[in-house]
Amino acid sequence: MMETLGFFATSWLDPSLLLLTALGTFAGIYIGAIPGLSVTMAASILISFTFKWEVNEALALIAGVYVGGVYGGARTAILLNIPGAPSAIATALDSYPLARKGLAGEAIGLSTVMSVIGGLVGVLALAIAAPLIADFAIKFTSRDYMLLGIIGILLVGTLSGESFAKGAFAGALGVMIGMIGLDPMTAEARFTYGSINLMGGVPFVVAMIGFFGVAEALAQLEHISAAPIKQKVARIVPSWSDVRRYLGLGLKSSGLGTLIGALPGTGGDIAALLAYDHAKRSTKNPEVPFGEGAKEGLIAPEAANNAAVGGAFVPMLTLGIPGDAVTAIIIGALYIHGLKPGPLLLTDTPHLFWFIVGNLTLANLFLLVFGLTGVRIFTKVVECPRAILIPLIIILSAVGAYAIQNNPVHITWALGFGVLGYFLKRYGFQVGPIILGVILGPMIDANYRRAMIGAQENIGTFIYDLLSHPISLVLTCALVFMFITQLPFVKNRKRQTRP
Amino acid sequence: MKTPDTLRPGERLFALLLVVFAGYAFWESYGISGFKGLTTGGVMPMLASGVMLATGVVILYDTLRRPASAETGLPALLAYLFPLRVVLFTALVAAFVAVIPYIGFLPASGALLFVAIWTLWSKGPVWAMAISALSVGVIYLLFGVVFQVILPTGSLWT
Repeated sequence: MMETLGFFATSWLDPSLLLLTALGTFAGIYIGAIPGLSVTMAASILISFTFKWEVNEALALIAGVYVGGVYGGARTAILLNIPGAPSAIATALDSYPLARKGLAGEAIGLSTVMSVIGGLVGVLALAIAAPLIADFAIKFTSRDYMLLGIIGILLVGTLSGESFAKGAFAGALGVMIGMIGLDPMTAEARFTYGSINLMGGVPFVVAMIGFFGVAEALAQLEHISAAPIKQKVARIVPSWSDVRRYLGLGLKSSGLGTLIGALPGTGGDIAALLAYDHAKRSTKNPEVPFGEGAKEGLIAPEAANNAAVGGAFVPMLTLGIPGDAVTAIIIGALYIHGLKPGPLLLTDTPHLFWFIVGNLTLANLFLLVFGLTGVRIFTKVVECPRAILIPLIIILSAVGAYAIQNNPVHITWALGFGVLGYFLKRYGFQVGPIILGVILGPMIDANYRRAMIGAQENIGTFIYDLLSHPISLVLTCALVFMFITQLPFVKNRKRQTRP
Repeated sequence: MKTPDTLRPGERLFALLLVVFAGYAFWESYGISGFKGLTTGGVMPMLASGVMLATGVVILYDTLRRPASAETGLPALLAYLFPLRVVLFTALVAAFVAVIPYIGFLPASGALLFVAIWTLWSKGPVWAMAISALSVGVIYLLFGVVFQVILPTGSLWT
């Protein structure tokens, strides 16, 4: 027990590890907040110059950036309506309206506290229930991942803006964009039109930068003469009564986020969307309607996406399967240092497992400190006039799109997506479902085909498989339920029966 | 977000274009591998474009149901969808992308920032120059030095 505690406290007691964790978390907040900079990109670059370091030092810095980055995406979502990371897409829906009401400080404070609660719940799950959750996640088959992906896309019902049809159209458009390139199973060209650049597919970060960064910049040109975006940041530390009131939702969302994060291939983005959807469905009488500044709509995704960090480490450390893109990079870091993530990691190198648990806990505590301080300095960045901010967003978007693969063509694509996003926004379409489709589309495609091959390409067998396996059955029922609740006549009936 | 009671300028035309685009996407998806099997590369694109086509028709039907707004015609459409500022700024960004291979990323960024800030902000060219230079310096430090991104250099200088 004392030995475990010693492993846990390694980064707490070593000044250099303490400093690296703090630095990583602080940098992560800004990396996550700046549109165009991604945690994945930062983590991959960090590995390139930390591979000569001690493994603990490298992990301390990268884990700090990871924790800070997942949280940081919410900052620009709140202040600018531009999610800094995919995990903050759901956050923007209610946090920006909150900021427009002069409650930006409160929104940042609440998002910080709930992110920390979520992060700690995720770490606790990693420490206590890692083997159990990993056992559950490994039972998921291709069929279940396909269903999970479709459920993610159907969440467009929540994100759809004006109508479900527009949301579904946007989601399907995203899937189409995600299909561009060589088919990974047959190497068949899909929508490439002979272009070598298109054969590699469209990186979702490029689409995200275009649809969010460039489209938002173009849309904001209309308001160029208006006063600069000055979000009132009054009270940052949330009131105790608010924390107590939303603690239940925060904990529930954290649990959901941990579970989703533990599923390989899923991450904070899906966790946040599912938590948002859950909050919307389970909150009977929100003070403010969802989409117009409901605090529940801010709390649920923020708690969930940070909880997903701890969850993502579970399959990575116990099975060697990355929970998301960043943990995939961390697996690479562990291999570089001669360690093999998998079932034997916990028995062979328990010090490493408990070091990671302790380090993630420490990063979350630093997150609380950095999240609640220095906000006013941060907001000065977004208080700058739109005439300066808009060209700067374009430049950051361009460099972000380019840096993913050092390919200048991606700048042109981001611009094209931006123009398309601008037109769609003018006619009431949300761009969030498009990004969701780009991310989930290839995952759904691959898992559908694996499941269908497993069913010997027989639709009857495929449907029988869906209904005869407990996990698939639960997910199928959830899918059917979600679809039915989005049908116009069901929605109208719900509206009529509401007092 | 609630659908407005009246149509926005050009909304019906836009919905029609979406249906046409979705139909084209379905045709292209069919062209990948047709109906040869249930696990071919074209199945998911056909499903996705099928959803686009179906929802596109629903969106178009909705625009046919709603009354047009008071402002109709080409001038209203141009004012709504193509304000001069958006058109000029987009052209400027397109020019920025086009000149990157010749003069490099940082000079092109500096030029874009200078022209955009000068024309959009009313503080004069000196302020625009100062902010552009400072921004390019920060971008170079952040991306070029800290993150070691190899920013594109121009063919004119090499």
